[in-house]
Amino acid sequence: MEQVLTILIADDNPSDRILLKAILSQFGHNVISAVDGQDAIDKFDPHTIQLVCLDIKMPHKDGWEAALEIQRIAGDVFVPIVFLSGVTDPIALSNCLRIGGIDFISKPYSPALITAKLNAIVRLLVMQKTLEEQRDAMSLYNEQLLNEQEVAKVVYENITNSNCLKDPALSTIHYGTHIFNGDVILAAYKPNGGMHILLGDFTGHGLSAAIGALPLADIFFDWTKKGFLMRQIIPEINARLKGILPSNMFCSAAFIDIKVNNKSIEVWNGGLPDLLFFPQNADRPVKLTSKNLPLGVLSPDTFECQIDPMSFVPGDRLMAFSDGVYEALDLSGQMFCHSVLNPLYQGEIDADQSVDWLIQQLEREGVLANPHDDISCLSVRLDTNIGIDSSEHKVSRGHDEAPADFSFEYVLNADSLRNTDPLPYVLQILTTVPGLSSFSSQIFMILSELYSNALEHGVLKLSSDKKSSSDGFSLYYEERERNLANLQDGYVKISVKVTSDNNNRALILYVEDSGSGFDFQDVNYDISNTELLYNRGLALLDQLCSKLEFSKGGSAVTAHYHWQVGLDGRAI
Amino acid sequence: MVESFFDKKTECLTIHVKGRFDYSCHKAFKEAFTAVSKVKFYEVNLADVSYLDSSALGMLLLLRDHAGEEKAQIRLVHVNSAVIDILKIANFHRLFDITE
Repeated sequence: MEQVLTILIADDNPSDRILLKAILSQFGHNVISAVDGQDAIDKFDPHTIQLVCLDIKMPHKDGWEAALEIQRIAGDVFVPIVFLSGVTDPIALSNCLRIGGIDFISKPYSPALITAKLNAIVRLLVMQKTLEEQRDAMSLYNEQLLNEQEVAKVVYENITNSNCLKDPALSTIHYGTHIFNGDVILAAYKPNGGMHILLGDFTGHGLSAAIGALPLADIFFDWTKKGFLMRQIIPEINARLKGILPSNMFCSAAFIDIKVNNKSIEVWNGGLPDLLFFPQNADRPVKLTSKNLPLGVLSPDTFECQIDPMSFVPGDRLMAFSDGVYEALDLSGQMFCHSVLNPLYQGEIDADQSVDWLIQQLEREGVLANPHDDISCLSVRLDTNIGIDSSEHKVSRGHDEAPADFSFEYVLNADSLRNTDPLPYVLQILTTVPGLSSFSSQIFMILSELYSNALEHGVLKLSSDKKSSSDGFSLYYEERERNLANLQDGYVKISVKVTSDNNNRALILYVEDSGSGFDFQDVNYDISNTELLYNRGLALLDQLCSKLEFSKGGSAVTAHYHWQVGLDGRAI
Repeated sequence: MVESFFDKKTECLTIHVKGRFDYSCHKAFKEAFTAVSKVKFYEVNLADVSYLDSSALGMLLLLRDHAGEEKAQIRLVHVNSAVIDILKIANFHRLFDITE
């Protein structure tokens, strides 16, 4: 192991000093001489000197004092110190090792012994250098990793937060144990008003947990924007997660659909603790229990959607949290679900304050200071204006629109009525007209009103009277499901005609069903009459459309809609 | 801690998990069911489990996957009250035969 060292030697005895210098120089090492302890300290530079040899007995600081000072100057740099000594006293020699010397060389000098000791020291230095390099490489690597994670985090948050979480109706808590959070909270306005909300909790924590959130968020936002329903989006998310996640990973989640048109919510719970619904007229919350396996467990052909429908009164609240809250340990070591959360379940906490209350509890019980799991919670104040006032329209003003002129007819018979939702497809074709795409939320609202009237009251012959009571809504819903599942005959025909040129931009929607129609002469278009849900839908249509015509005894309706290029918000 | 026992006569592999059933058991649990071949029935004894987290649910899914998903014959036995709640929330009774 040939290596040239720069060696500092300090000895007040000139002959010993010159002799040692001669021996060391002979092996090719660079030697710097010092005449006493202070001189050695002055000449010591940790960046150039790799080995220090100190005589023990010297004037102006002896070898031990010099050794301590040199070690202090060296700091983190490892510079071995060897003591030179004429003494053979074992206590004096062991003192040399005790204060940090690595060896001693006794006088008179033996070139053979010095060679052997130098070789041992060189091995030590090489090992030390390797360790330092590895340590530096590791800390650099760790720094890079954290840096990359921070960058990835920005991308991740942009994707999972490009939503309407800032809506005043929502309050959320979101704490992660790592840079990446395995919990996600997503919220998006639906094109026809109302909102989709998803709270998800992936297996594990950190990056591996967060990575599944990307396809989840992608489908959630994209499909909600396109007008798909909750019961279509959930199976799609499940299928995608099942396809890409390893089999030991899944996502416990709750999906909430707020439907403002008929003041109801639908809740799908797969693997999350009970959601809590707080009606203002009840003294304790209704629990919405997990009835489904988490997302990404079942293959698409065995997946089912068990959904709880509820009707709400503006001001009612819904709350959901991940098991990071439910299983958090309080100071006495009990899980929150058995201790801290009890007053919430008993209805002793004001629903409007429930999120603030929960944050206080998490702080008081020391959970936030030392979280074992990602923690998230959301609470939404249910109201009929959610997603109505705040809908965002991106319109490029004043651009010319290429003329359009097309029509199509889409007839759904019993099997298709059971299995398909035609609206996203119809909407997709309509929004190929740039001007119309600016009004996609209004068009979607008109389409969905027309279609659900045709399907529910026409084909399925459901009476809307049922919807007026709060129990009635879920009964209505069950009957709708039952009738649809048993449907043998019936159709809904959707005819669309679009003409758009410089003078006239018109959309004509004609929807006809196989039902027996209704007495349309008696329709009340007064939108302020919120008691009548069915009529309320028609009143809404009446406002949005320039003309609404019934035919075939009420089993067919034609809606005329006009729009202007470069305007948003309201049709003329 | 994970212990396992294979009964050749009944072709049943029993996996006994004790203490905290979380990610620290991952390696041992996986080894317990990959080490033995020709298993017809699986029994996971959870009597001595004090806590079970979502990565433990993931391991059970891994076992189910290994045992042939829909065709898997896996019983979770002696499931205690600390654990049953978590299995119920995840609706795992639809995937596994669970007895208390």
